[in-house]
Amino acid sequence: MKAVGARLPRYDGIQHVTGRTVYVDDVRVPGMLWAKALRSPVPRAEVKRLDVTKARSLPGVHAIVTHEDVPLNVYGHLEALGVPADEPLLAADDVRWKGQAIAVVAAEDEATAREAVEAIDLDLEEGEPLLDVRKAFDPDAPQIHHWGNWYPHFEDGMDRRQIRKGDVASAFDRADVVVKGVYRPAAIEHVPLETQISLSVPEAGGRITIYSCTQAMYFSMGVVAAHLQVPLNRLKFVGGTVGGGFGGKVDTASETVTALLALKSRRPVKWRWTREEEFLASSTRAPWHMEIADAVTSDGWILGRKTLTLHDSGAYARFSPYGLTKHAFHHLGAYTIPDVHFDGYVVFTNRVPTTAMRGFGVTSVSFAVETHMNRIAEVLGIDPFELRLKNGNRIGDTTANGVVLHDPSTVAVAQALAKASGIELADDLGAMTNAPRSGALLPEHLAAQQVVNGKEH
Amino acid sequence: MKLTVNGAVHEVESPPLTTLLAVLREELRITSPKAGCEQGGCGACTVLVAGEARRACLLPLAALDGAEVTTVEGLGTPEQLGRVQEAFLERYAAQCGYCTSGMMMAAEALLRSNPSPSRDEIQTALGGHVCRCTGYVKIIEAVEAAAGGAR
Repeated sequence: MKAVGARLPRYDGIQHVTGRTVYVDDVRVPGMLWAKALRSPVPRAEVKRLDVTKARSLPGVHAIVTHEDVPLNVYGHLEALGVPADEPLLAADDVRWKGQAIAVVAAEDEATAREAVEAIDLDLEEGEPLLDVRKAFDPDAPQIHHWGNWYPHFEDGMDRRQIRKGDVASAFDRADVVVKGVYRPAAIEHVPLETQISLSVPEAGGRITIYSCTQAMYFSMGVVAAHLQVPLNRLKFVGGTVGGGFGGKVDTASETVTALLALKSRRPVKWRWTREEEFLASSTRAPWHMEIADAVTSDGWILGRKTLTLHDSGAYARFSPYGLTKHAFHHLGAYTIPDVHFDGYVVFTNRVPTTAMRGFGVTSVSFAVETHMNRIAEVLGIDPFELRLKNGNRIGDTTANGVVLHDPSTVAVAQALAKASGIELADDLGAMTNAPRSGALLPEHLAAQQVVNGKEH
Repeated sequence: MKLTVNGAVHEVESPPLTTLLAVLREELRITSPKAGCEQGGCGACTVLVAGEARRACLLPLAALDGAEVTTVEGLGTPEQLGRVQEAFLERYAAQCGYCTSGMMMAAEALLRSNPSPSRDEIQTALGGHVCRCTGYVKIIEAVEAAAGGAR
């Protein structure tokens, strides 16, 4: 156990502090071209005309790719988990978000590539965008996705992620108070200091070496191979050095396009997104809309919870059905509530597709739940720590989706929080543990869902 | 155009309006300064010009004839680290490493002009530098350590 508690040097620290770490942008290969993208200037439009003939004839331009050059243009990041494909690598008949890539140019230098992008003949017919998840369900809302305005492909063809546990109507009948709250954390861009970047080098014999900033090497390799319709052994990924990711580099943002351009131009191609592109076109943490109503007793027990979540997926599904599933699993926070009714929708909008970021799907609902706990304490006029410790998960409690807890840490964490905040807990709260519920901590509404010694009562 | 970088004199051939960042990275292949935003907003490209911390992405070559430039490569080597490098390594001030070069150059410039800065002065000197990994605390502690040991 030499490592536990020891201060070990970072394995990559010496390279970092001597400036010798080789990120993708630091790789130089002879004959390298630079890529630039034509991106949609509007959030929603039909593509009426896309003509790259003039741009292709400019001196210094070596290749341009559009949807026509992608062997499999529409591919789903989560097809392996049953989420069907909906997102084109390069926009074809329509654009669904401002910044969506339509064509990408490879040229001798970035300035030439930019000129070629400007020379592409693009005619768009703008449509009314949907930008607010709350309007997606209105009968007169613009219909912006070919599946409808919300994701319809959960298990058994359901159009939402739902949880039903216990008898929520009875819980609300028995409640002394109903505490409601609406929580709307905004989108957050990851802002890695290294923007999205890749360098694809065509090798003799048809292989492609791809220098990538991905956070998910083998996943990204699969994405590129699928779009290109080549076996994995045609691709050699070089990665593992990421200049900041935070979830945003799980998406395979640029690798497929540079690989296509490298094949087409027979030259190495680097695509380094500008900071503006990173903000405009790289995926963000999703904005969420959460409505919570809790049935509570005046002495601080939460009998039941109803939740409606609208997860803003942006223009395509990408990872959002998975993010919403995690969100649903965690939507009671670290607390035990026996009667539960949860409906969550993955809603499409004409915004940049959203993705993972530090606790994918969970951080939003943790924020909502903890804020809601404070609100309940305020409404009831009781100590927010007492509320948390009373309702906090204990051994033998079950979660909303039926997981029996064997070693939950809510009590210890709440006590540590109080200590770190300089808050003195009452003796009974300070002495609490996560031992199975009994006595005053096992009120009637929780007795029925206790599992002790593996047996359900 | 003549440019002295880390003590070595270079005849550079890039056009006069090329940024110092592009000259260093693309012509001289000195890659410690990073292109984080290319508009002076993030600090990742910071180098010393005549001992002062400057954003290499905003400086045209034309304004730099004969200038002396220092990058991280000029602070030390893996075998013999400079004081700022050593402190950043020991204090875990580098995580992904992409902002680290710029942070260290800003710290170096500060310590050259103010060998024993206060915490406020360190924060001011690093104020225009963005880091998304560390939350800045370890970086500030590293600069304090480089200035003369832990406080």
